[in-house]
Amino acid sequence: MDYVKNNRMLSLLGQRGTFGTVLNELAKDDERIVAMSADLARVSGLEKFIKNYPDRYINVGIAEENAVGMAAGIADAGKIPFVTTFSNFAAMRANEFVRHFMAYMNCNVKLVGLSSGFAMELFGTTHYGLEDVAVLRCMPDITILSPCDCMEVAKCVETAVAIDGPVYLRLSGKMNQPIVHRADYEFKVGQAITEKEGSDCVVYATGSMVSVALKAAKELESENISVKVVNIHTIKPIDRECILVNRDKKCMFSLEEHSRIGGLGTAISEVLSEEGYQGRLIRMGTLDEYKKAGTYEYMLEQHGLTVSNLVNTIKNNI
Amino acid sequence: MTNLEIYNNAFIECLGVTEDQLAGLKYQDVESWDSVGHMGLMAELEDAFDIMMDTDDIIDFSSYEKGKEILSSNYEIEF
Repeated sequence: MDYVKNNRMLSLLGQRGTFGTVLNELAKDDERIVAMSADLARVSGLEKFIKNYPDRYINVGIAEENAVGMAAGIADAGKIPFVTTFSNFAAMRANEFVRHFMAYMNCNVKLVGLSSGFAMELFGTTHYGLEDVAVLRCMPDITILSPCDCMEVAKCVETAVAIDGPVYLRLSGKMNQPIVHRADYEFKVGQAITEKEGSDCVVYATGSMVSVALKAAKELESENISVKVVNIHTIKPIDRECILVNRDKKCMFSLEEHSRIGGLGTAISEVLSEEGYQGRLIRMGTLDEYKKAGTYEYMLEQHGLTVSNLVNTIKNNI
Repeated sequence: MTNLEIYNNAFIECLGVTEDQLAGLKYQDVESWDSVGHMGLMAELEDAFDIMMDTDDIIDFSSYEKGKEILSSNYEIEF
């Protein structure tokens, strides 16, 4: 599939729909690809995959632990299983299985966390994925990918197939997702992408928050504040170089649709503290409290993950 | 080309249907109008009419006739 030509279609599908569409495309030429889901095939955009490859799809039912355990066995047989479920269930309900089979045994399992952050809207806190990165980041050898738009989802899925080892693919946002990349670009695991240059400060963003950071940076340009925006699509292994190259800035910001504890901001702070950074890192993510559930936009507003709040935070701190 | 011809062409190109199938055509009536085909159709219509559709309209776009109604009332496209 020509991802550039179909960019808008993919953005309309959202990250989940894009995932299933791309996996279906890749499965044509790679018989090793197997799809598995904890009863979320449709939500994962896997309808066509199932129709085309009924013998390569397994619905394990609402049994996320078993999905990971079965996937480990399937991977051991030389296949490449992609397991889909909501990100909170992937990271927490199946946690010990992920630890044993993906981190410890290094099985070639691709775990796909659907609807991370607040994308589950009125399903509420039980379905919000706010801690998945924190929970998985401390496990050795699991590559954590967090694409910023649907073209990047396509690149992440392709990359996940190519990686010989466990991968956690964190999907965020809703359908009709903002497009960050309009032209093709090079995607490499562990190499962050500077989406916009700037001289006054830097914002490190991941997933759905990259487009928010870019909008804020554009708004600040009119006030002569120059903001660099870096897309951290690989949270683990993190691109240390892209962080350290900005250590001359007195203030840096991180932005993620995830708890501000344990996620991207924490990963960056670990790098900076290890290297003796003397400035400030302001970590913006979801607050350390569970608020009442609401729509996607309402929840982002409640946690300050908006363009206006980022603009104000930058203005107040540089 | 008239707006109606542009509209019809989008369906014919994206869904692989013929013109005589258009009247009364609904989402999922033909195999090609599934969720992915739907988004391809929406992207094609956006491009053809130079518009950006709202998510609610994309979801409401459930048939050939409903689509015309949405484009007329929300995007000032006259048929």
